[in-house]
Amino acid sequence: MLLSCNKLKSHIKNSEDIDWLNIWDTFTLRTAEVEGVEKRGDQIDGIVIAEIKECTEHPDSDHMHVLKVDCGEKELIQVVCGAPNVRVGLKTAYIKVGGHIDGFEIKAKPLRGVLSNGMCCSGKELGISDDHSGIIELPEDAPVGINIKAYLPIEDIIVEIDNKSLTNRPDLWGHYGIAREIAAITKHELLPLELEEVPNDKEDLNITIKDPDLCLRYSALKLENIKNNEVPLDMQIFLYYVGMRSISLLVDITNYIMLELGQPMHAFDSRVVKSIEVGRANDGDTYTTLDNVTRHLTKDMLMIKNGDKYFGIAGVMGGLDSEILSDTTGVFLESATFNAGSIRRTAVSLGLRTEASARYEKSLDPNITTVALKRALYLIKKENPELEIASNLTDVYPTKLDVGHVSLKKSLLSTYMGLTLDDKTVEDMLTPLGFEVTTKKDTYEIVVPTYRHSKDVNIAEDIIEEVARMYGLENFSATPLKIESDGIEHETIFNQEYDVKELLATKYDMHEVNSYLWYDSEMLKEFGVEKSGVKLLGKTENNILRDDLSFSLMNIVNLNFKNYSKFDIFEIGTIIKNNENKRVLSIILADEEKMLESNYNKAKEIVKYIFKVLKNKDVTFTNNVNELEYYDSSFGKVINVNNEKLGEINILNKGITNKISKKKSIICIDIDFDKYVNIQKEDILAIEVSKYPTVQLDYTIILPDDKKYQDLKEILDTFKSNLIKKYSLVSIYENKYTIRYIIGSNNKTLEQKDITTFKDRFIKHLNDNNLNIAE
Amino acid sequence: MEEELKQIVASLSEELKACNKEADILNVKSKYVGKKSRIMEILSGLKDMSVDEKRKYGSLINNTKKEMERMVTKAIEEIDNKSNITFDDTLDFDIKKGSLHPVTIVAKEVTDILKRMGFTVVMGPEMESEYYNFEGLNIPKDHPARDMQDTYYLDNGMLLRTHTSPMEIRSMENYGAPLRIAAPGRTFRNEDLDANHENTFFQIEGMVIDKNVTIGNLIYIMQNVLREIFKTDVKVRLRPGFFPFTEPSYELDMGCLICSGKGCATCKNSGWIELIGCGMTHPMVYKYGGVDHEVYNGFAFGLGLTRLAMMKYKINDIRVLNSGDLRSLEEFDIH
Repeated sequence: MLLSCNKLKSHIKNSEDIDWLNIWDTFTLRTAEVEGVEKRGDQIDGIVIAEIKECTEHPDSDHMHVLKVDCGEKELIQVVCGAPNVRVGLKTAYIKVGGHIDGFEIKAKPLRGVLSNGMCCSGKELGISDDHSGIIELPEDAPVGINIKAYLPIEDIIVEIDNKSLTNRPDLWGHYGIAREIAAITKHELLPLELEEVPNDKEDLNITIKDPDLCLRYSALKLENIKNNEVPLDMQIFLYYVGMRSISLLVDITNYIMLELGQPMHAFDSRVVKSIEVGRANDGDTYTTLDNVTRHLTKDMLMIKNGDKYFGIAGVMGGLDSEILSDTTGVFLESATFNAGSIRRTAVSLGLRTEASARYEKSLDPNITTVALKRALYLIKKENPELEIASNLTDVYPTKLDVGHVSLKKSLLSTYMGLTLDDKTVEDMLTPLGFEVTTKKDTYEIVVPTYRHSKDVNIAEDIIEEVARMYGLENFSATPLKIESDGIEHETIFNQEYDVKELLATKYDMHEVNSYLWYDSEMLKEFGVEKSGVKLLGKTENNILRDDLSFSLMNIVNLNFKNYSKFDIFEIGTIIKNNENKRVLSIILADEEKMLESNYNKAKEIVKYIFKVLKNKDVTFTNNVNELEYYDSSFGKVINVNNEKLGEINILNKGITNKISKKKSIICIDIDFDKYVNIQKEDILAIEVSKYPTVQLDYTIILPDDKKYQDLKEILDTFKSNLIKKYSLVSIYENKYTIRYIIGSNNKTLEQKDITTFKDRFIKHLNDNNLNIAE
Repeated sequence: MEEELKQIVASLSEELKACNKEADILNVKSKYVGKKSRIMEILSGLKDMSVDEKRKYGSLINNTKKEMERMVTKAIEEIDNKSNITFDDTLDFDIKKGSLHPVTIVAKEVTDILKRMGFTVVMGPEMESEYYNFEGLNIPKDHPARDMQDTYYLDNGMLLRTHTSPMEIRSMENYGAPLRIAAPGRTFRNEDLDANHENTFFQIEGMVIDKNVTIGNLIYIMQNVLREIFKTDVKVRLRPGFFPFTEPSYELDMGCLICSGKGCATCKNSGWIELIGCGMTHPMVYKYGGVDHEVYNGFAFGLGLTRLAMMKYKINDIRVLNSGDLRSLEEFDIH
């Protein structure tokens, strides 16, 4: 929102004492964020009011004229001007030789052979409008010779406030409310508004509110005999500076009051208005708004109806047929308050956010509707002293919003502030903001004005906010907060996730990725995989939430195969399975096809390593019957810890792999991280090392083609001996598996005969199971 | 005799010096102290000498032989100990290393800082209920934050959390008061993607509930967190803000570190960077969380971790973070 400091000044007594350029840093700290402060009119000088005394055609141009202007000096000055509206008697802005426009100096120079001493200016050149169709036309009574800046409010400071920071302050959507804040901050007096009272000796207007939950108040006034529709220049400049276009007096005044008080108004041509009814639209109806767009209505939208016809979308935009015309001399002025939520929903669903709807959706104070009408009457009458008040100030106000009452405990205020303020200080902070404070022994009893009570000030903490900001947030000192915590760590999930991530990145040189919570639709389509998880509403693409983290990472795998022939990635993320959040660790080993076997073994190693190092748990793998269409059906493994399924290792099947890239292997590890987190780390107990040496025995065993290590392991597990400390697989070559036994005794050093006996028994056990040792 | 022995020792010394491998020394050894060597010859001639001569030369000859053997042993030792390493010591291979996601690193950093201040790190669900995401946080039905265009609603009646603030209610329910929690996590807003906008990003929520907590306490914690993150004294500015779940609410700006507050493109010429939304927790939120506001009060804050990571690593396109593109990600740290 743009603010004019000239306008703000007009509402504050002795406003010249305020530093209007620099007050805005303080305003940001006290009230709302200022996004920019810009001086206007400081790029021009040397411009005075002049009257055209002579006007002759340029001898060498078909559109230029040679003027003699009176600018208050002894002699008339010759100026060449190309504007079409030059004529004798016109008063306009004349820039002298040596004056500046936009920082450029004006020099005397010949135009097509005729010397021009300076120039006459358009509104655009003065920076006060977009009008460049001719030179500016000043009123007949404009005093010749005086500086234009003394006559028109060209010099101003325009301030931009971040609308977002005004969300909860409906009172700040007009200059008057901002002026109240500035007055309070700078300890100045806010001037009352000049209003014109309505005698109410006429008839009431015919107004009905059908839906009082959506229309909180509807006030209106009919005025006739408005003949002067000229907008005063200072109002035009104001509107232009704050980003609005001047149209005509009646339209401009409604905008002016909105910018001043925050109250949107509407002016209808009084010839058209019969009776006003405010009520919901019918579903399916259409209506053409002022901007000539046909809108589709629903029963959730509130409409202004004239007789039985739609007349405007309440609080959003008027209709094409309700517009003020050039021959309008009578107006029906609407000043109403609507339900904030309803206006917001209507504006959003129509895609039509207007200055009015932006204000209504902030919960405006209904009590200003009549103030706005009296203000409009005052302003219109200033330009039209002959106007006729044609109705009573008609006011339909079903449920009056009253002032609020808040009781603030002094002790609570002191707690939040970290110090105790004396009563007078508190009163002096709150009173200029419009609060009435009655100080009791332990409390402040506060009356909240309706312009604050309509939305944001309802409870004691709201008053604390007011005191704290007026005290100055920059004046609070940072005070340490004592820890009285018992040091209990409520959860360890975050750290457990971090530990696994760090391990994978350091030990296995893997890269962590983050991916979206939903499947990539393109990917599913390309793979021909259907997923039926939880869906995002209102979206048709990328709208299915993932239920398999590894699989959802395949588009990242696809992407990286474009630049890398092999890579390992992981993510700990959420999946939504059976309507529940689940945390999963997925690790993807992506490589050349020929590396499948070694990577598969590596995958097992990684899983074992994670559980051994971080949980001191052993992992067992069992065969997985995989029903998912995109994984290889025979090579899946279930990861078991404590006889519970903790996850899976899968190979992406060849068909899908080929769709990503030919001759690749993609191994997916998924670990249920919710379960992982709940596994207690097994304590590591010190082992008593035997005094007697152990012996290491390697046996290379030949396995028949139809056997796997798992079969060998089962046979080895049935071989019992007191001497066995452990055995492990150390290498395989073709079908030759080398097994290493560590044997030893706890009460003697083994002798050769003990070893021989062990060896003989072992070989016999193998032979009994149809296996042989390689010689 | 003495002359000859001296001569032999000198000659051995000479020949040993010329050796540079063990085999050469062994040859020299056999020549000088071997069975057929001169010294052995002299030694064996000793028995034929007169008693006088034996007395005169016996120990000299024996000592000379021992000395010669010692010289050979020493020479072998020297050769053994002499470094014989020969390889290209200038090779320089690239290291192979993994990487953590930038947000993970920043989240770890921030949670470590908060843990030192007594905060417990908690985590919560990404798919949330309307109750925890909105209602429990005093965000009424008509609040714009609830709009479809901001919130991802799901066909099972749930939604994707739009902030980490639901963890305030969940933590109060789980742990009661007093409380100090920090909740990092992923949040979702229905936004179109561009270099500055993502629909999926990380925040960290902080909440303190205790007795007699002041606005000054809030400022203290925030200032300290930022000082630790940026490893420098950070200027902090608090200004009025608005969040339904805090009252009063504040926006916390940090003095721009790029231009030291003079104004630059990063801070949009204001000298300040908006970093944290915070405030004193609203009484309604305590009510929903089951905390007695008559006894306790406190504050909460929300910090954008994705934003912080972008500032720390000077990432200028937010989309990189969720792309999984290793060309961008593999360069990041582990710690």
